[in-house]
Amino acid sequence: MSARYSLLTYIAVAVGLGAIALAGNAFLIQAAIGVAISAILALSWDILSRTGQVSLGQSAFFGIGAYGSGLLTPQFGVVLGWVAGILLCAVAAILIGLVTLRLRRLYFTIATLSFGLSMQVLILVTPGITGGSTGIMPPVLMGGSPPAQLLLITGFLVVAAIVSDIFLSDRFRPAFFMIRSNPALAASSGVPVVATKIMAFAVSGMVAGVAGACYGGLYGYVIPEDVFTPNWSILPLAVSILGGMDTTLGPILGALVLRFLEEIARHYVGGVGYQVVYGAVIILFIVILPRGLVGGLRQLLRKLARRDAVPARSRSEAKA
Amino acid sequence: MTLASVAQAVLLSLTVAGLYAAIAAGLTLTVGVTRIINFAHGEFVMLGAFLTYFLFNQHGVSPWIGMVVSGVVIGLFSALVYRVFLARVLKHDEHNQLLATLGLSILLVNIAIILWSPDPRVMQAPQLLPALQLGGVTVPGNNLVVAGVGGLLFLALQYIMRHTRYGTQMRFASDDAELAMHCGINVDRIFELSFVIGGVAAGVAGGLVALILYVHPVVGLDLVIRAFAIITLGGLGNIPGALIGAAILALAEGLTSTFVPHGGSFGYGIAFLLLLLVLVIWPNGLFGKQAHS
Repeated sequence: MSARYSLLTYIAVAVGLGAIALAGNAFLIQAAIGVAISAILALSWDILSRTGQVSLGQSAFFGIGAYGSGLLTPQFGVVLGWVAGILLCAVAAILIGLVTLRLRRLYFTIATLSFGLSMQVLILVTPGITGGSTGIMPPVLMGGSPPAQLLLITGFLVVAAIVSDIFLSDRFRPAFFMIRSNPALAASSGVPVVATKIMAFAVSGMVAGVAGACYGGLYGYVIPEDVFTPNWSILPLAVSILGGMDTTLGPILGALVLRFLEEIARHYVGGVGYQVVYGAVIILFIVILPRGLVGGLRQLLRKLARRDAVPARSRSEAKA
Repeated sequence: MTLASVAQAVLLSLTVAGLYAAIAAGLTLTVGVTRIINFAHGEFVMLGAFLTYFLFNQHGVSPWIGMVVSGVVIGLFSALVYRVFLARVLKHDEHNQLLATLGLSILLVNIAIILWSPDPRVMQAPQLLPALQLGGVTVPGNNLVVAGVGGLLFLALQYIMRHTRYGTQMRFASDDAELAMHCGINVDRIFELSFVIGGVAAGVAGGLVALILYVHPVVGLDLVIRAFAIITLGGLGNIPGALIGAAILALAEGLTSTFVPHGGSFGYGIAFLLLLLVLVIWPNGLFGKQAHS
């Protein structure tokens, strides 16, 4: 994707979500906040997956972001508190990345399931520092004004998109994808495999931490079951794959579509079982569009381009 | 902490290990052969538990028979799932397969919630065996059933893998699917077979769940997450490894919930602290093959 497309994506995100914030429909604003937080989290997952590390542990960094920023903001103020909270995510990600560095594929994925759940135990056994099972009350973002919250989170989403594009640029892309497809070859070609994987982990952890910090600041109330639940690990995987992996647009588009369908299901199916639609959508998408929305769109565009190209060629052949 | 209370905790934990082993052995067989992280395995267990529960509570069918029926029904159901759905994603990347089984798991859990409500139920089955009295220690009869049936199921799976033609073919397909195909083995059929065997084991294990745990829609999710920790501890695809992993986890959980304050609320956190510790030292699990997947 060229820089022009990237810029278009940022503008579309900023204008779209910004318009919703200014229009002031309370329901739309809440829905848009949900989409933006899901998209940030999904981008964090996608960045990590580009090095072949398919994680089911993003909820750990989501939760550390929420807890870190929530606990540190009263000490250091909003800006420094958030910076410290996000750096905490980076430190945790580097430590965890070192632990799982040697694990291959399925072993890695299963081990990552443990991150969020282990963090939950850690919170439960340290009630003195973290409030234990009763949770914490982080300061509410932007004085609790939903439109202002949405604008701020939109800003973070654009930053996350830029970070994602940096790691898709020629500077990083070849190394990342080579590590994924053949780590041994990458190492022998001079790619610093360990450093790159750890860096991807740290960046991914920080981006997920931003999503968690935003979430924690929405209502000013965070409990461990809420932020460390495996749902926050499954969501980014579903959003990125359904939207289209290895792109910036994919996770954003995936968050929009999945959250939209979820709201519709909540409205029409209601009750506790509305997530039946979530499961059904995942199953349908994975069978029909295995490369996600972006992959499907690309295929469609290619097909259209070919259809246009065929008559042109036959005309030139006729002339010859 | 008296000797009797330790002995009681250890014995009860070992019976729970029978349940864990039954679930994990089926899962590790499927994962080992097909290399698909099958999250829906837990929902197969959950459906088996509900089937055994309803057969007993509404039709008075003995849980002994309920277990067998649920093994057969869930086996057939897993064949259906494989043919209609999983066979279509087998050729895709592994993260797609992972998401596919996660989607299936979410779908089945929520269908169960809509049909049967999220409330936990108790089967209130009679004790199928007399309780075991050993000094000051009592093990309820149904816990003995769980340990016994879990152990038998484990032996059966081990026998199938080691001493039958299909077992040999499954191990071959697991080592190198392409080579197996060139040797004339119908790999797709073997994958399906391994999936169905896993399904049968999950169904029977569901019957065991109904005997000693609450039956509710997310019971399978709780158990499959533990089972993943267990099969990774033991090395993916390694059935005896799953048995040892199950025993280690059940003991760790039983002892913490009995002797650590608030230990019961750690849930499967214990499973994963244990798993991380093991993987740091042995990246392929305790008995895993080197450089495989």
